[in-house]
Amino acid sequence: MKNTIRRTLLYLVIVFISMMVLIPLSYLVSISFSSAAEINDYPKQMFPSFSHELAVTWDEENSYYILERKNNAGKYEELYMSSKFDRIQAYLETQLNVYVEEEDLEKDFVQAKELGQKIELTYRKSFFNNFIKFFTVFGGAEKALVNSIKAAVITIFISMSIGGLVGYALARTSIIGKEAISIGSLIVRMFPMVSISVPMAILLVKYGLYDSMLGLAIVYSIPNIGLTAAITRGIFMGVNKEFEEASMVFGATKLQTFRKITFPLVLPAFAASSMYAFITAWNDTAVSLLLTNKNETLALLIYKSIGGSSSIHYAASGAIVLIIPALAFTFLLKNYITQLWG
Amino acid sequence: MSYLTLENVKKVYNKNVTAVESFNLEIEDGEFIAFLGPSGCGKTTTLRMIAGLESVTEGDIKLEGKSIVNLEPRERGVSMIFQSYAVWPHMSVYDNVAYALKLKKLNKKEIDKIVQEVAKTADITQYLDRYPSQLSGGQRQRVAVARAIAVKPKLFLMDEPLSNLDAKLRVAMRTDLKRIHQEVASTSIFVTHDQAEALSLADRIVVMNHGVIEQIGSPREIYHDSETMFIAKFIGSPPSNFFHVEVKEKDKDIWLVHSEFELKFNGTEKETLLNQYVGKKIVLSVRPENIKIADEGIIETKALIIEPQGSHNIINTNIAGEEVKIVSDQFHLKEGDLIHIQFNENVLLFDMDTEKRIR
Repeated sequence: MKNTIRRTLLYLVIVFISMMVLIPLSYLVSISFSSAAEINDYPKQMFPSFSHELAVTWDEENSYYILERKNNAGKYEELYMSSKFDRIQAYLETQLNVYVEEEDLEKDFVQAKELGQKIELTYRKSFFNNFIKFFTVFGGAEKALVNSIKAAVITIFISMSIGGLVGYALARTSIIGKEAISIGSLIVRMFPMVSISVPMAILLVKYGLYDSMLGLAIVYSIPNIGLTAAITRGIFMGVNKEFEEASMVFGATKLQTFRKITFPLVLPAFAASSMYAFITAWNDTAVSLLLTNKNETLALLIYKSIGGSSSIHYAASGAIVLIIPALAFTFLLKNYITQLWG
Repeated sequence: MSYLTLENVKKVYNKNVTAVESFNLEIEDGEFIAFLGPSGCGKTTTLRMIAGLESVTEGDIKLEGKSIVNLEPRERGVSMIFQSYAVWPHMSVYDNVAYALKLKKLNKKEIDKIVQEVAKTADITQYLDRYPSQLSGGQRQRVAVARAIAVKPKLFLMDEPLSNLDAKLRVAMRTDLKRIHQEVASTSIFVTHDQAEALSLADRIVVMNHGVIEQIGSPREIYHDSETMFIAKFIGSPPSNFFHVEVKEKDKDIWLVHSEFELKFNGTEKETLLNQYVGKKIVLSVRPENIKIADEGIIETKALIIEPQGSHNIINTNIAGEEVKIVSDQFHLKEGDLIHIQFNENVLLFDMDTEKRIR
C-alpha cells in the first residue's frame, strides 16, 4: 500500500516534469507550422494543422468576396475582402500558407457568386512553408547554419584535443603543479563567457580572427578545455592499468594498445565532454553578438529574428532548425555513452 | 640447462627503495612454481620483471638460454593472468580471446579454431558472444585463462589470479587451474599470498620476504623442513608454535630446558647443538599437529579456547605467557579442561639471532 502511494507519487512527478518540457515544445512545434493567421488564434493550437477551413460569400453591395476562416475556437471570422483574385491569392500565400492557382481560386469563388450564398472551402496548407520562408526571408540563414556547425565542430576539436591531453597528463603523469592545473582549469569554467568576450574581442581583432568562426570557437573552448580535462582525467584514472599491460603482454605495441584498448575505454568521456562543447557553441548568442559582425551564427540570427512581431512563426521554425542538429548529435553520442560500458 | 633462469635479479625503485634483491632461481620446462610471501615482499615485482612490465635494475633473466631483459613484453612469448583479470570490457569474450591471435595476423579460420578450442578448455564456450560486464567474477577469470592459453605461451604468469574470488569459487578454480596446467603442460609461475593456494598448486614454492628468497622447495619441504623462522611462522594455519629454550648438557645427553618443561633431544642436530649451542638459548618450533594430547605429558596446562574445524579442533592454551595452538582430534575436550601434552620428534630448531635453522 505504502509502495503503491510512493510509486504513484513518483510517476506524478515524472509526468509533471515531462509536461513542463513537452507542452512548451509542442507549442513551439505547432507555431513553427502555423500560418500568420493562426498565430493570433486563441486558444492556440497544440498540434499543427494541415489545412484551413474557409468560407466565401459574395457581397453584392460592395461587389467583393468576403473571405472567412474557421479559427481554433470553431468560429468563422472575417479575414479579407477583395474582388481581385491575384490579391486574394497573394493574401492566401502570405497569411495562410496556402498556395492555389489563380484560375482554381476563381472557379471555387465564383460558385459563391452564382449561388448567392456562403460556400465552404478547405485548402491545404503548404506544410513546410515557414521553414522554406525562414531560409528565404532571413538573408543568410543558410550561411548562419553552416557557421554554427563550423563553430561547433572547431570548438569540439579544440576542447577535445587540448582538454583530453591535459586530462591524460593529470591522470597518468606526475607533473609539477598538477592540482593547481586541475583547479585552475575549472576556475576558468566559472567565468561568464560574456566577460571573457570583451577582452577577447581586442585580441581577436589583433590577430585577424574577429568575425570568424575560429575566433568564436576559441572563446567557446575556454570553459570547455577545463571541463574536458576534468571529465577525461577521471576516466583515464578509472582505466585500470592492467588493461593496458595485458594488451602489451599479449602482443600489442604501445600505440596499438592506445588505439585498441585505452582510447575505446575513454571514448565515453570524450563523447560526454564533446556534448558540452557542442552545446556551448550551438546555444550561444551573447558571445557571437559581441564577436561577429556579418558572420552570424544560427542561434544569433534566430535571437534577432524574434524581434519582428509578424515573423514569429518563421523564428519558431528557425528554432526547430536549431534544435534538430542538437538532438541528432545527442542521439548519436548517446549510443557511445551508454553502450560502451556494455 | 634450465628453461627459465633468474640470475641475481635486483629491482630498485626511485634509486633507493629495493624491492627485490639477489634473486636466483632455475625453473625446468613444465614446472608449476609459486611465489609465496606477504604483501610487499617483491613477488609481484619479480613476476612483472619476467613479463617485461617492470625493468630489471641488475641481473639477468634467461628464457630458453637467451636473455630477455631487454625485450618488450610482446616479444617475450609470455602470457599473464592479472589480479583484476584485465578482461577488456569493450570487447566481447570472443574478441578478448582472439585479441593476441589477431595481432599475430593469423587468418580467421585459424583464430576461430583456437578460440573454440581454448574456450572448451576453460569452459566458456556458451559465453563467447557476451561482454565481460555480463559475466560473474569466476567467468571473467575463465576468460582471462582462455586468453592466456590461446597464445600457447612459453611462460604462463599468474598474478594472484584467485584473490578476487569468493572462498568457495577460489577452491574450485584452483582445481581447474591445476587441470588446465596439466592439459596444456606450460611452464607456470603463480604469485600468491595465500599459502593454501601455493601448497596445493605448485611443484615448487619460492617463499619470499622483504625482497629476498627465504626458501625454495616442494610444498612438503617448505612445510615440514622450513629453513627460517619466518617460514615456520608464515606457513601453516595455524602456524608453528615457538618456545624459547636453553640448551643444557647432562651426561652426554642434550636437554632443551624451558621454564615449564624439559625435553630430552635426540634429533640429528644433536652434534651441532653439543658443539655450538650448549648454554645458549635457541628457538624450538613445533607444528600444532605435532603436539599430542595424552594421559601423561611433559607439560600440564588448560584448554582455554576451542575452535572446532569439523575434521579437527584447534585448542588454544597458554604456556608461560605464550599462546600455543594444538591441532587435535580429541573432540570430547571442553574449554577449561586440564590437558597433558607431549611433542613428537618432528620439531625444528632455530638460532635466536639469525632466525635460521640449526642443522
